[in-house]
Amino acid sequence: MNSQKPVRSAIPYSRGNVKPLLNEIIHALDRLLDDDEPTAIDLASLPFAPGELEELERALGHGELKAELDALGKSVIRETAYPGVWWLEHRNTAGEIVGRYIEITRTPEILMSQDADIGAGRARLRDSFDNSGPEFNKEAGK
Amino acid sequence: MKTIPTLGDILQAQGVSRRGFMKYCAATASLLALPPAMVPRIANALEQARRPSVIWLSFQECTGCTESLTRSSSPTLEGLIFDSISLDYHHTLQAASGDAAEAARHAAMEENMGQYLVLVDGSIPMGNPGFSTIAGISNYDMLMETVEGAAAVVAIGSCAAFGGIPGANPNPTGAVSVQDLVKDKPVVNVPGCPPIPMVITAVLAQFLTFGQLPELDIHGRPMAFFGQTIHDRCYRRPFYEQGKFAETFDDEGARKGWCLFKLGCKGPITYNACATVKWNAGTSFPIESGHPCLGCSEPGFWDKGGFYAPLSTGKFDSGEKLAGAAVAGVALGAAAAVAGRRRQAKYTKEA
Amino acid sequence: MDLLDFARGPALQVAAYILVAGVLWRLVGIIMLKEKPEFSEPRKPGGFMAALKVIYTRSFTAAPFKRATLYPKMLAYVLHIGFFVVIFLFVPHIVFFEGFLGFDWPGLPNNLIYLSGVAAVVAGIALLVRRLTHPVLKLISNFDDYFSWFVTLLPIVTGLMMPVRMGVRYETLLAIHILSVAVLMIWLPFGKLGHTFLVFVTRGTTGMVFERRGAKT
Repeated sequence: MNSQKPVRSAIPYSRGNVKPLLNEIIHALDRLLDDDEPTAIDLASLPFAPGELEELERALGHGELKAELDALGKSVIRETAYPGVWWLEHRNTAGEIVGRYIEITRTPEILMSQDADIGAGRARLRDSFDNSGPEFNKEAGK
Repeated sequence: MKTIPTLGDILQAQGVSRRGFMKYCAATASLLALPPAMVPRIANALEQARRPSVIWLSFQECTGCTESLTRSSSPTLEGLIFDSISLDYHHTLQAASGDAAEAARHAAMEENMGQYLVLVDGSIPMGNPGFSTIAGISNYDMLMETVEGAAAVVAIGSCAAFGGIPGANPNPTGAVSVQDLVKDKPVVNVPGCPPIPMVITAVLAQFLTFGQLPELDIHGRPMAFFGQTIHDRCYRRPFYEQGKFAETFDDEGARKGWCLFKLGCKGPITYNACATVKWNAGTSFPIESGHPCLGCSEPGFWDKGGFYAPLSTGKFDSGEKLAGAAVAGVALGAAAAVAGRRRQAKYTKEA
Repeated sequence: MDLLDFARGPALQVAAYILVAGVLWRLVGIIMLKEKPEFSEPRKPGGFMAALKVIYTRSFTAAPFKRATLYPKMLAYVLHIGFFVVIFLFVPHIVFFEGFLGFDWPGLPNNLIYLSGVAAVVAGIALLVRRLTHPVLKLISNFDDYFSWFVTLLPIVTGLMMPVRMGVRYETLLAIHILSVAVLMIWLPFGKLGHTFLVFVTRGTTGMVFERRGAKT
């Protein structure tokens, strides 16, 4: 998706969005540890100068965990160098960014298996279990 | 009445997982400029939402607004918003034509009486009904007939919202806006030339999610997107405050990305979301690309005295009238002096 | 036509006609007056240099009055310099002048402009308070003094409101600001604000007359 790569000005200029955001994240971490309260920050609502988003990404760095989700387009969910601070990027099926968030939480909700999906999966599994021959049953441990 | 499936039903039928739905809801929250904490409420509402019928009318327009919308990078608009609305009439996009198309419009109106949304792009010519017709029906007649049973009207683009380019001086077709004609239905204006596609989608998503129209500003525009000026949200604003300006399009200031005020930027009086939502999947917006804002989402933007004339220049006529004023001033002064001299002569005689 | 278009267009236009006609009317009317007859032999020729000298010396208070007038004089300087800086060194204003002059000059960063504007307003208010409390000054003040004060301060105040906004829309504030300038332009030639273009004429005339009569200037 090279065509989607943003064209950025040759001279990056910081409007000063990064520092206050980092400060906000520190306070969000306080809330997470003290009150068990997660925070989500929608990066689309901020007037980033060219290069500033990259600056923020660099400042947060990469952590131990990175997950890829394939639902209505790809998403990347990864922990930054600061545990509890997650960087989420959602793309649509055309590969375009539809949302960018920082979540300050233990595990982003979207990583969890969802009850509706678990239920649907169980039904699917039960269905194939009921309709399959003895060999499948053996493998399944019956 | 046909049974209308909920959005939850549609997504389930398409095999969209809950995770996919959550992602969609997060993108919708972002689109509606709502805090991420609202996502569960949006999810709840969207699951229950029933796809509204939408009739899209195109009048004196250039199809740029439709082009903009079909390039929306919002939650896969083509796949989802368009799935979650029922676009029953759009003469550019629909396969049917002629009588069949008009029949589809009437059918949609009857089936969804009082419920459907009318989207309009383009202005309506009042000078002569023949200036713009569809299937032999004048734009005015089609608008008034279609709006009759609508829940609300959304004017897409500056032409529909304010008259736009067709309505610009000298307005040869007598073009007017939707809000000039539709007085008894709620009208939401989504101006821009074209409007930001995400904003069009957001109005639909808002209607879909909460069954209501967004809060509007004095020009009937959604506050969430038209609540602040380009200037106030511009990343080049600090240069304005520092007095650093590009003087031409290729000087040092232009290369350093300084403020474009002197090159005619209308950012200070233009309310739109370009500086944050940006264009082309969030790539940039005009100022970021080095061009001043034209103010395309403002009423009468075409007649605001030149795209490259700085905002603070006065709109003066030629100097002739001013020279006339000067001559008049000198004449008045001379007359006053003559009168004064007479008085002086009287006093000096007395003295 | 919205309010801003009206302000930028017809309002400013008419104000400019009145300003130009009014200033020339008063200037020509005064300059073409007959000189007063001289009843005594001139001590000195009293030429152009004498005029220039008084234009300069009257910028400062004569020694005996220095202490008494220090406070209002300082305030007046702050008001005048602040007003000058705001008008001629704020970049959007320079762009306005460039629109009909055809040339520009360097401006100042906005924070210095805001500072000058606030200083001018504070000085203006202090001067008004003095005018209202000083027994003699109060007695000799008339409508012209108060109205001139009002139309002078109004554009600075409306201009300073623009970055602050206070809930009012920018284009409305801009229109009000321009209209307040139009009011100032219209009033300027006729009241005491006429000193804008008359101050050096009157000082120069005084200088020449005094020199001829042998008074200390």
